[in-house]
Amino acid sequence: MPSSYNLTYTKTDTELLNTLQAPSKGYWIALSILVIGLLIGAYGWGTQIFYGMGMSGKNNPVGWALYITTFVFWVGIAHSGTLISAILFLFRVRWRAPVYRSAEAVTVFALCVAGLFPLIHLGRPWVFYWMLPVPQMGEMFPNFKSPLVWDLFAVFTYLTVSSTFFLLGMMPDVAILRDKFKGLRKKIYGILALGWRGTDQQWRHYTAAYVFLAALATPLVISVHSIVSWDFAMSVVPGWHDTIFAPYFVAGAIHSGLAMVLILLIPMRKWFNLQAYVTDHHLASLAKLMIFTAFVVGFAYAVEFFIAWYGGDIYKGDVFLWRAFGPYWWGFWGLFLFNFMMPMLFWWHNYRTNTFWLLFVSIGVSIGMWLERFVIIVTSLSHEYNPFGWGFHKLTMTEVYIIIGSFSLFFFLFMVFAKVLPVVSNWEVKETMEPPRKGKLT
Amino acid sequence: MSTYKGPHILGIYPTIDELISGIRELKKAKKRSFTVISPVPHHDIEHELHPKPSPVRMFTLLGGLFGFALGWALTYYATESYPLIVGGKPLFSIPPYGIIAYILTILFGALATIAGLFLNARLPDFVIKDAYDERLSSDHFAIQYYGDESELDAVGELLKNTGAIDSQKMVVNVSKKEQFVD
Repeated sequence: MPSSYNLTYTKTDTELLNTLQAPSKGYWIALSILVIGLLIGAYGWGTQIFYGMGMSGKNNPVGWALYITTFVFWVGIAHSGTLISAILFLFRVRWRAPVYRSAEAVTVFALCVAGLFPLIHLGRPWVFYWMLPVPQMGEMFPNFKSPLVWDLFAVFTYLTVSSTFFLLGMMPDVAILRDKFKGLRKKIYGILALGWRGTDQQWRHYTAAYVFLAALATPLVISVHSIVSWDFAMSVVPGWHDTIFAPYFVAGAIHSGLAMVLILLIPMRKWFNLQAYVTDHHLASLAKLMIFTAFVVGFAYAVEFFIAWYGGDIYKGDVFLWRAFGPYWWGFWGLFLFNFMMPMLFWWHNYRTNTFWLLFVSIGVSIGMWLERFVIIVTSLSHEYNPFGWGFHKLTMTEVYIIIGSFSLFFFLFMVFAKVLPVVSNWEVKETMEPPRKGKLT
Repeated sequence: MSTYKGPHILGIYPTIDELISGIRELKKAKKRSFTVISPVPHHDIEHELHPKPSPVRMFTLLGGLFGFALGWALTYYATESYPLIVGGKPLFSIPPYGIIAYILTILFGALATIAGLFLNARLPDFVIKDAYDERLSSDHFAIQYYGDESELDAVGELLKNTGAIDSQKMVVNVSKKEQFVD
């Protein structure tokens, strides 16, 4: 914590609890816009269920299109939360404390949104339970050799572990809310705090559980998006069948997740006056991490292209030329520009400490990462082995409505969270501060 | 679940230094049946209390092992119950089934960790029946001493002398507050 803000335990409580005061008019307007977006999404999905999958642009040869693109995008967004909350915790990175709660919320809400897309993509969401690991007809289970079943296990486990970590991290903070508020809110927070008192025994078990959950969540950062990448890499589609896919997807996931954390943190710290907690130093640290992930992603792009040439597979080579110079060229060059070139601005101190540029680049990276998944999925399927089977994806408004709905749902959940629960971890921020000492009361 | 464990007294401190001196005085007086309440964990407190490693780690280990075994058992049972060759791979394929076992190791390890925390920390406990003060989650510290009703007044005096500003005495769920300092 920078000393210029002179933060104390009491001041921290007061300022962080201010974020939970009655919302402003602007908040309600923003929330209303998001509700309209949600209704648009619900309309899109409703018409698709009613009239059938023809309402979406999915068709041969592009059978996986925008829904799976958006699914991979949201799973990717989820990753930075665990990186910041679990991995940086294990490495005892001090700047993590004020930003990790928002990052964790990004993880949980992004996974909730991501989880909807396989259901939307199914066409018959009411039979979703066919994916579950229970025997169907004649004692036949789902195929455990299929990456799609691994994916179900991975995403469900990730959602469970990250939600648990998110809620567990909040328990001492919710106890503060229980003790500060009166009336109905006190009762609700009292239930959510589960009777937390902060005894030495509780802290002893709590900190142990926290470390173990962080240690369990850490491999998930690597494995979940690796498994998502195997949905593609295990197939024989040219442009998908690559061993580099797992690290490539993981780096991209963290890259996009960091961008989303910045997109949410920057307006939040302004609206809630949290400059003392989420400082320029924190934002710049996230920007520095983005330079690193941009290089990993850029390296993966280069290696993919190099192997397409060096490997000598004519089909794969052709797909890569088609990506760069075919009708989807804008997607390919767009992703390179947004994901690799734009974060390079953060080499300069002025850019990584300027909230406008941080936000500008982060929005660019989010667009770029969505484009990356679009390019991987749609260009590969539209240009497989047999020229007779080549074709394009035809965008429909139903897909657009559903994607608008997904973004609205994500931001809606985050905005509601920001008004009912502490967006900055109070107890962990206090842990980085000097406690009240004799002659130095707070 | 009740946290009331018999008669006790709670001494509330405004600073960690006075809390530490209170702990030291209690230890010096050979009175060890106390617990410390603080808004955050602090190494100064741990240094005085010398806590043992939490048994939560055993829950994590056992949960993880259970998940690992379940992953292999589930895939083995599924293969045996409907032996169908898929993609030319062996019926029982170790690499793909290992992924299921790996994921379930993490899932059950995490669930068991939470179970371990709840069991050991006596949570959830929706009605706090012990003495408690709302400042303790925020910026104050406390020592909660459990003992015979007869010795609580003497311990209260000791806590006061080490810097406690308030106390709450709880006998059979009846709280009696006393303010040492205005």
